[in-house]
Amino acid sequence: MAEISESPSQPSEEKSRRTQMSEPHESDPDFDPKTMRKTKPGLKRLILTLSVLFSFILGFPLLWKSIEIYRAPLPFQSIESFSAQIDSNPLLFPCQFQAVFIGFDSKSFRANELESAIEKRMFELNSKASQCGTCNDNYTVSVVVDSGSDCVETKNLKSSCSWKCGTINKFDSFEKLKDNDEEADELLQSMLGPCHDSGFGGRVYSGVVVNAEEEVRAVVGKYRHAWITGSISEEEAVSRIAEIFVKVFVNGGKEEGSIQGEFMPVGADGKIVLSFNLLNADPRDWIYDWNFHEVEEALVHPVIEALQPIANVTVESQVLYYTPKSSLSFWDDKRASHIFSTKDLPFFVNSNEWHLDTSAAAGGRSKILQFVVYIPSAKECPLQLILPNGEISETNGFISPMWGGIVVWNPKSCIKESDTKDVVRNKISPEDLQKLFEVVMGQLRQLFGLKSTNLYVGISGTSILLGSERGFTEWELDVLSRHHTCFNLHSCATTLGSLSRLVQSLPRMIIKDEIGKQVKFSLEAAKLAQNNASFGIYDASAVSSRQSRSLAEDAFFHPSIMSISYYSFEHCFAVYSPFFLPVLMHVILAALREWKRYKQENKKYLAWKTKAKVTS
Amino acid sequence: MLLLLCLGNIGNSVAHLSSSSESTLHTNNWAVLVCTSRFWFNYRHMANTLSLYRTVKRLGIPDERIILMLADDMACNARNKYPAQVFNNENHKLNLYGDNVEVDYRGYEVTVENFLRVLTGRHEAAVPRSKRLLSDEGSHILLYMTGHGGDEFLKFQDSEELQSHDLADAVKQMKEKRRFKELLIMVDTCQASTLFSQLHSPGVLAIGSSMKGENSYSHHLDPDVGVSVVDRFTYYTLAFFEKLNMYDNASLSSFFNSFNPNLLMSTAYYRMDLYQRRLEEVPVTNFFGSVMETLHTDSAYKSHRSIDIGEAKIKKRTDQSISGSDRRILRNMNNKDQVSNLSTEENSQDSFGQLWNSVLSKVTTTENVDEFVCHGLLLMLSLLVASTWLSH
Repeated sequence: MAEISESPSQPSEEKSRRTQMSEPHESDPDFDPKTMRKTKPGLKRLILTLSVLFSFILGFPLLWKSIEIYRAPLPFQSIESFSAQIDSNPLLFPCQFQAVFIGFDSKSFRANELESAIEKRMFELNSKASQCGTCNDNYTVSVVVDSGSDCVETKNLKSSCSWKCGTINKFDSFEKLKDNDEEADELLQSMLGPCHDSGFGGRVYSGVVVNAEEEVRAVVGKYRHAWITGSISEEEAVSRIAEIFVKVFVNGGKEEGSIQGEFMPVGADGKIVLSFNLLNADPRDWIYDWNFHEVEEALVHPVIEALQPIANVTVESQVLYYTPKSSLSFWDDKRASHIFSTKDLPFFVNSNEWHLDTSAAAGGRSKILQFVVYIPSAKECPLQLILPNGEISETNGFISPMWGGIVVWNPKSCIKESDTKDVVRNKISPEDLQKLFEVVMGQLRQLFGLKSTNLYVGISGTSILLGSERGFTEWELDVLSRHHTCFNLHSCATTLGSLSRLVQSLPRMIIKDEIGKQVKFSLEAAKLAQNNASFGIYDASAVSSRQSRSLAEDAFFHPSIMSISYYSFEHCFAVYSPFFLPVLMHVILAALREWKRYKQENKKYLAWKTKAKVTS
Repeated sequence: MLLLLCLGNIGNSVAHLSSSSESTLHTNNWAVLVCTSRFWFNYRHMANTLSLYRTVKRLGIPDERIILMLADDMACNARNKYPAQVFNNENHKLNLYGDNVEVDYRGYEVTVENFLRVLTGRHEAAVPRSKRLLSDEGSHILLYMTGHGGDEFLKFQDSEELQSHDLADAVKQMKEKRRFKELLIMVDTCQASTLFSQLHSPGVLAIGSSMKGENSYSHHLDPDVGVSVVDRFTYYTLAFFEKLNMYDNASLSSFFNSFNPNLLMSTAYYRMDLYQRRLEEVPVTNFFGSVMETLHTDSAYKSHRSIDIGEAKIKKRTDQSISGSDRRILRNMNNKDQVSNLSTEENSQDSFGQLWNSVLSKVTTTENVDEFVCHGLLLMLSLLVASTWLSH
């Protein structure tokens, strides 16, 4: 603790000081070296230690920032509000309906009364609370009564889809409507559609009632209209039209129920892989091959195009050999065939021998639907499915939801040519292949929750549903779009909610930028989907909702979110403390010590100064 | 008051969760069978897992819904006197490795990280489907783990541990993402029940071969192979299942009560507080067997315009052009919406932001690097001039 003394003293002063020091202070009796000092205490050491301490203090925020865990900011509030919004307001779509009465007397069939009657009946049929994916409460119904001579309209639908008065006034048009359903459908389509209306993206669902002298007959076409012909009373017409509107066009012919996840076979990334497999149970009996390429071009491609807004569909096919089934069948003399019943169906698929899921093309989150055409061996030929009511099944096929469908096809002659050593190779004839694919198409529809039959049986009567060569009619695609939009948005909301809860519960987990971006885009796509839904654009909303769901799933299943790999606080502490603790200890102690010493010396100096002042 | 409200909320949420799980249908079964020990003297753990694999396959679960993780290879081990054969009984009646064993994770791929990735579903993009647990909200999952364990942990590969809170966390995430409807956890290690002590997700049932402080023992030693070939808990499990076939409906409670503590030399403890259904009503095939819901196809779907396969090509082209234009319209509307969204966002920023954005956009859109360098140099030069002028 050396003192910084003044400028070198003269020898006399030194001597005097030395003599002074040897004796008790006579010149300054008050000077006590323990409590006073004559010179100002030095500041250099204090400044040095304090500067080191301050540099540590200044550097501390920099250090803290550098070891901060990078978490991309997630919009927790938006996710929360989006989830709450989806839960509280079920997504409802605007719909427009139009009922046209042809050949009726406009005085007895008053348009306004009809309109209110139809609306009332529709309201009664729609008694349950609005399900997600159905029409919202302010749907509009407009009625046109066209009796050839005059034409009364209730509302003027602003779209170009509305009925133009006086277009059917020829008697032979009536005839066409009665005889040939296909032509009637095309005729109505030429009159009612196509609608290119940018204002209201959704289309108008139309029901045409034609007065004729015959039995009442109702047909729902391939587009967005239905027609009823026959001698029909006002009430019956109202109830049938209302039923068709509510049960068929809005609900798709399904029973009312919540949208079940088991009929939504779209994968989490919006893709479906249709895998067609031809299974030869025992190739030693016969081998069948098929011309899949042609069938695919002709029959499968239109369906894939039709399903574009709902899912991205790819197709693959294979032929397998030595694939017996695992359930048993028994011989029935009366029907001269081997019978398997519906109780055996769950055990039909023999997963040990049927290697169906071998595709490397399908990604981890796509959904694969297996369509199997099973050709039985000679021991079990012909193989028929018997229903619980004792009848033989027409289609010989069944589905398993979310898995796929199986059809059993029996070769024409079940007699094996036992003498030939060569393997008998056959091709399935185009007609048989066509019939098989019609069953497969029915199965695909079943997997999406629609019926494979062409009839709708309702309370007020049975309607015929026309089949489309695209596998799905326009109104069915609308129904699927609406339901899938609803389901996808729900799924997106729950996934994002789970993700935000997970991220908030692990405050020290790294969240990469990619996850932040995916969440942002997912929310944007969801908003776009809701927007489109409010305008009634079913297709675009289905596409956006699919995108939002796939982005949300990508974010949630991002491989970097593993709780095992986040840095705990103990880890951080254990890494940095062996260096910083000792160093900080020394620095702080040194600064404190210097400060104390400075204060002490300063006190001494001030004491001397006051003493000096007092004496002088 | 607040407490009551909170309790009410919790009660509601639990009720909602339980009701939602009841409303989903049971559509398929999955099995995740994990053997975590390596080295020859842990032969019995491999045999345990393979025995359960065989049982589950026999009762109907297909390979595509089984994830089998074996940490070491006993069948082709150099010390195996019976190459390519694994037995679980000294009578050697059953070769567990005989036909159709598909191991999904083998050897050093069996790690805690991979196990948790299988459970939570967070794989890298390149992982094939056979290595993923592709369950959905209607799945019942059987999770069987065997190896060496202790108080709240399970040892993997003799080098790392799976802790009970990690397992509980993974199960919680699975439940959040609705990856299972019901989960049955079976653990055959020492102090097995501690491994599932931290679980709190509903719909989970767990049984362990021993309680805290107890060991689980092997059943018998095979003097021919030279090591113990099966553990007691698994041996008695198999004894129960060998009597069943896929059509039986023995209940879970009969299975759980079939364990005799004297024969096991430990207490098989099961935990059912998180499970809503009563064990007497649940058949074991709900977890160990296969279920496939089937619906008959009533009729074929005929379109009246029956297309001959040859003719279809011409028709297809005209159809395509029409539908193409429809789709194009669809996409245009889509784009318009998206563009309008973005532009509204941009307009909301202030002028400085716009200036900055324009500068940024100019910078990011210059494709030519030389151009960029030129721009930068000019900028620097101008700054230099400005600063010298200012400093005068």
